[in-house]
Amino acid sequence: MARKNNFLVTPGEPVGVIAAQSIGEPGTQMVLRSFHYAGVASSIATSGLPRLVEIVDTRKKPATPFAYVYLKGKAAKDFETAEQIAKKINEVRVSDIARRVIENFSKGTITIKMDVQRLQANELTARGVGSKIEKLTKTESRANENAILINTHTKNAKQIRTMAVQIGKMTINGIEGAGRAVVQEDKKSGEFFIQTNNSSLSEIMQVEGVDTSRVYTNDIFEMYRIFGVEAARNTISRELSTTLREQGIAVDPRHLDILADAMTSNGAIKNVGRRGLSGEKESIFARAAYEETVKHLINAAAFGERDDMKGVTENVLIGKQIMLGTGTITLAIKKEDLAKISGKEKKK
Amino acid sequence: MAKQINEKCYIYINGRILGYVKDGSAYAKEIRTARRSGILSGEVNVAYIKKLNAVHINTDNGRIRKPYIVVEGGKSKLTAELREKLKNKEIDFGYLIRHGIIEYLDAEEEENTLVVFSEKGITEQTTHIEVDMTSLFGFTLNVSPFPEHNNAARHAMLSNFIKQSQGLYATNFNFRFDSRSYLLFYPQAPIVSTAVFRSANMQRHPSGQNFVVALTTYYGYNMADAIVLNKGAVDRGLGRSMFYKTYTDEERRYPGGQKDVFKVPSPTAEGYLGEHAYSKLSEDGIIEPETIVNEGDVLIGKVAPPRFLEESISASGLEEKIRDDSTTLKAGEKGVIDSVVFTESTGATKVVKVRIKSLRIPEKGDKFASRQGQKGVAAYIVPQEDMPFNEQGIVPDLLLNPHSVPNRLTFGHLLEELAGKAGAVSGNAIDGTAFAEKGSDRISDYGKTLEENGFDKFGDEVLYDGITGRRFTAKIFNGIVYYNRLYHMVSNKLQVRSRGPVQILTHQPTEGKARQGGLRFGEMERDVLVGYGASLLLKERLLDQSDKASVLICKDCGNIGYYDYIKRSVVCPICGGNSLSEVEISYAFKLLLDEIKSMHIFPRLKLKE
Repeated sequence: MARKNNFLVTPGEPVGVIAAQSIGEPGTQMVLRSFHYAGVASSIATSGLPRLVEIVDTRKKPATPFAYVYLKGKAAKDFETAEQIAKKINEVRVSDIARRVIENFSKGTITIKMDVQRLQANELTARGVGSKIEKLTKTESRANENAILINTHTKNAKQIRTMAVQIGKMTINGIEGAGRAVVQEDKKSGEFFIQTNNSSLSEIMQVEGVDTSRVYTNDIFEMYRIFGVEAARNTISRELSTTLREQGIAVDPRHLDILADAMTSNGAIKNVGRRGLSGEKESIFARAAYEETVKHLINAAAFGERDDMKGVTENVLIGKQIMLGTGTITLAIKKEDLAKISGKEKKK
Repeated sequence: MAKQINEKCYIYINGRILGYVKDGSAYAKEIRTARRSGILSGEVNVAYIKKLNAVHINTDNGRIRKPYIVVEGGKSKLTAELREKLKNKEIDFGYLIRHGIIEYLDAEEEENTLVVFSEKGITEQTTHIEVDMTSLFGFTLNVSPFPEHNNAARHAMLSNFIKQSQGLYATNFNFRFDSRSYLLFYPQAPIVSTAVFRSANMQRHPSGQNFVVALTTYYGYNMADAIVLNKGAVDRGLGRSMFYKTYTDEERRYPGGQKDVFKVPSPTAEGYLGEHAYSKLSEDGIIEPETIVNEGDVLIGKVAPPRFLEESISASGLEEKIRDDSTTLKAGEKGVIDSVVFTESTGATKVVKVRIKSLRIPEKGDKFASRQGQKGVAAYIVPQEDMPFNEQGIVPDLLLNPHSVPNRLTFGHLLEELAGKAGAVSGNAIDGTAFAEKGSDRISDYGKTLEENGFDKFGDEVLYDGITGRRFTAKIFNGIVYYNRLYHMVSNKLQVRSRGPVQILTHQPTEGKARQGGLRFGEMERDVLVGYGASLLLKERLLDQSDKASVLICKDCGNIGYYDYIKRSVVCPICGGNSLSEVEISYAFKLLLDEIKSMHIFPRLKLKE
């Protein structure tokens, strides 16, 4: 217990500033070596400074989203079973299995020549694909082994063209928006998991055999939608630390936690900047000192706001002692009052 | 071969289409032959660009060109016969150019060539030979010995250092009035020089001295690019130089017939600096040569008409109002007046130039550099008796930390040191030209020379500590390196401030040496103090030592008030109240409040207690 107390932060310690400096300083070195590992084809995830900026700015969708899908029971140990589940997730679009798409504007038909090898690899048949397209587009189709003929019921060239494009994007098999699913082996535990290069977690979680308690995506907002703020907070923290670790930068996780906590403090995800953390500061002066000075001052005047001068920035501005560190302590009893009290006591 | 875009080969002359031919390559060749035979000017360059199937002919100015020896039919056009003639001065370089033996190529034409370094390397495809290996480098780099042994990053540095070194920059220095100039007292020709150095006749106006350098530490005084100098050597004139600075002033004429006058200003002049400041001026208002001057002394006394026209009108009838516009010696400067010159400007106004000289003996904080990109700042000037010495009693002039070498890969420095030592003991000048014929064999030659003269062939010597008298356990590498004293000297840069001027607008300290300014305590520095929680230190830095202001604030309306000296009471100009209290705030905040008010926003300050 005593040992634990040694690790407690002293009251008044400016943890936020220390966290900011601890992340910011190694961050300056990152810029110089962001051109590392070129050519690793399998996982070209955004890393380094761009990724860090992405997290801190809370982009709605990461530039390279991915998900780790862990598996329940036997599947986690057996590659074959894992592969089976991966096949259910792996998104296959018409364009992935088509060799050529031919539009016939005079007849109003679209012919899709299939790539038979890819069809087989995905355990599909042209007929099956045809019927799926039929269902999704409400058209009629005929299919043989390697081609599908779709009657569009229109002779409008524009409509035919848009339909052809639409069909190309159509998901035939797997989960829409899941992207490519690849089985990988966890080097530590030796278990198999599936990595997708796009995330649509809520659908993936419905697939049988998926361990829903261990799914993960680097898309912070998706984690937030499915699991709530706490998960989002952990995702921010985890993403920050992996990004920094990849660059060979050791930052104490507590600094990252402070940042993640600050970003999720009121139940929603806020970014760091004038539309997020800085824009929501209580003090008018602190906000005005950052960006959009005039806007803040005018709004404050219009609504008759009041600045309590409790933060750091505003006290530095007016030249008062800041209420942090050694400035946290104030006298509970004033010197004059103390004389009164002790005087009375003496008289008694 | 890439697919040809055009079937016709277009000819561009200075970037403009002239026409087209069928075979561009042959066309370019034809032009080249014409140039070599003298039909076309030697300044014409032609290039056939295969990728675009186009011929570019350039005749305009601004192209960087470089000479090459022409090779035709697998043979150099510069034959042995011509070389002999060249040696006997029967022909000159111009002859070779006129006869197409040497030609200048621009960047574009170089794309059509295959250049070899020497005649030995000629193959069928060879078109040119490099005139000399040194032509690969620029002038400043060629001044440095053994550059082929150094890292390229060091080359960039040494090229800069050579330009910054003090020396004999001009032989007419005594008649020149450069705004700043530096003159080394005893410049020496380097023992190790290069062909380019000699052909530029730089031994006659060198910019450095041959230092005896020992590669060793000295009680931690030469850590991290610091160097230790020998006080004995410094006293004997090592690195000693003179700093000259010229102050200029002019009798300007103003519209309205008014003009400046050089004279000792009368005490009635506006901005009079006090009698003492003008005490060194002679009757004409100009200082005399050989006067010792210090900061604040007036060098050129001058009075000027008032800056604004109204002032002189209002003062009409009375004695004409004048303004003191004298030139004073800047803060921190001192010296002796070297020369005073009266001249006339192009506008036929009288001009005075006062040159002041000041002796610059090497001191702690002065910068030195070798010709190998090794710079250092003198950190300690050791009395000679405390310096290490060898058995002959030779004491090094400079101690360089051995850690300066391995990371920076300045092998040239070590080579120069060895070569310099060999040159010194044998009494010969040594050639350190890049890519010299003997190559790295010359290194063993230096060792041989040293051995013949009773020194270790690696340049190592037994040295003794001057303080304890004990022998150093390791043998210490020493030799002679040509060092330059660079013009960055502390005495021109040193500045301190405890109190000083403030800016009018913000009441914050001024910035910069010329304005006696302070050092900025910036945002990141502020964050550090916040991070430490040192709240009182932060307040002291940002308020007490900066723009602290005492302001009266109205307790009723929260506006800034003032003390009315006539009524002897405090007043609030907005509500007219008399209950104000004094508050310490930063002046910048007061300024902010004023600016907010100017935006038609009324900020009220509510006070507690």
